Amino acid sequence: MAHAGGGEEEEGEFYLRYYVGHKGKFGHEFLEFEFRPDGKLRYANNSNYKNDIMIRKEVWLTPAVLRECRRIISDSEIMKEDDNNWPEPDRVGRQELEIVMGNEHISFTTSKIGSLVDVQSSKDPEGLRIFYYLVQDLKCFVFSLISLHFKIKPI
Amino acid sequence: MAAAEAEALDFEPEDDDLMDEDFGDASPRASAPIPKLKSAITGGSGPRKTKGRGFREEGDADRDARLSSRDFDSLNADGGPGPLRSIEGWIILVTGLHEESQEDDLQNSFGEFGEIKNLHLNLDRRTGFVKGYALIEYENFEEAQAAIAQMNGTELLTQIINVDWAFSNGPSIRRRNLKKRRETRGHRSRSPTRRY
Repeated sequence: MAHAGGGEEEEGEFYLRYYVGHKGKFGHEFLEFEFRPDGKLRYANNSNYKNDIMIRKEVWLTPAVLRECRRIISDSEIMKEDDNNWPEPDRVGRQELEIVMGNEHISFTTSKIGSLVDVQSSKDPEGLRIFYYLVQDLKCFVFSLISLHFKIKPI
Repeated sequence: MAAAEAEALDFEPEDDDLMDEDFGDASPRASAPIPKLKSAITGGSGPRKTKGRGFREEGDADRDARLSSRDFDSLNADGGPGPLRSIEGWIILVTGLHEESQEDDLQNSFGEFGEIKNLHLNLDRRTGFVKGYALIEYENFEEAQAAIAQMNGTELLTQIINVDWAFSNGPSIRRRNLKKRRETRGHRSRSPTRRY
């Protein structure tokens, strides 16, 4: 990591929200999480398949965790991308990624991405690949936080 | 009084309140008009550069409602500063890890402070190397506290690591904002700390 410690808390406001979901025969099934400016992590997972309980969890994070989240986003360089040429959300599903960092605010939407094949065949493989991997890294981070704190198995 | 005026001008609605403004008049005595979710995010200091289709789409009431619900489970937090206990122990975050770190490296250095009940050493999905952080669970507060005190700022595999608590009892407010918030508190009624 190139920038441990230091003036990272001076970077200003931070907000992140990720959503993936679709509406189908089991209703509205989705996963969504949010890092709020005050440090609260909210996680919601609604799957109506078999059991129809909505899982909704929230917990306050320390600045250290928020810094790491920012670090993951900065390193990905997602803020330089644009969703103009990404596949549009469709019946199969949609993804939304909204991030506020410093004076930049992105709100990207796209379809679900099944695999790297979808990335490669898109009109913006470089940008979509960054999104594809960032989303996986963020989910991985959030699932670890939620599962360790609440001892539930997300998804 | 000039000082009082400056204070009033300095007033900024608080983000955590704004995120929850979907259920009607939460604070009827607030003097300033209450912005909606979107402006809560785009508001703030200075012009903000926006990008993405999300800004050009119709407002999605469903989206606004999903995360604004109050029915989120949480473990009992007292709202104060300080670390929060997780359901089976205390979780710490290690950052700055070398990309070739292995679980054994962490076991060796962090196992010294107590039995590691859980260790998440997540990988970068693109490279397959370590992403740079680890989450470690100890059963006891003292073990976690000792690990933070003795390992934070030390070197592991040629890199300086940072070690801190992962979860907190309340909001992490940056110091300069805290001061501002204290000053503005007198101007409006602050809703009590929510308990879900």
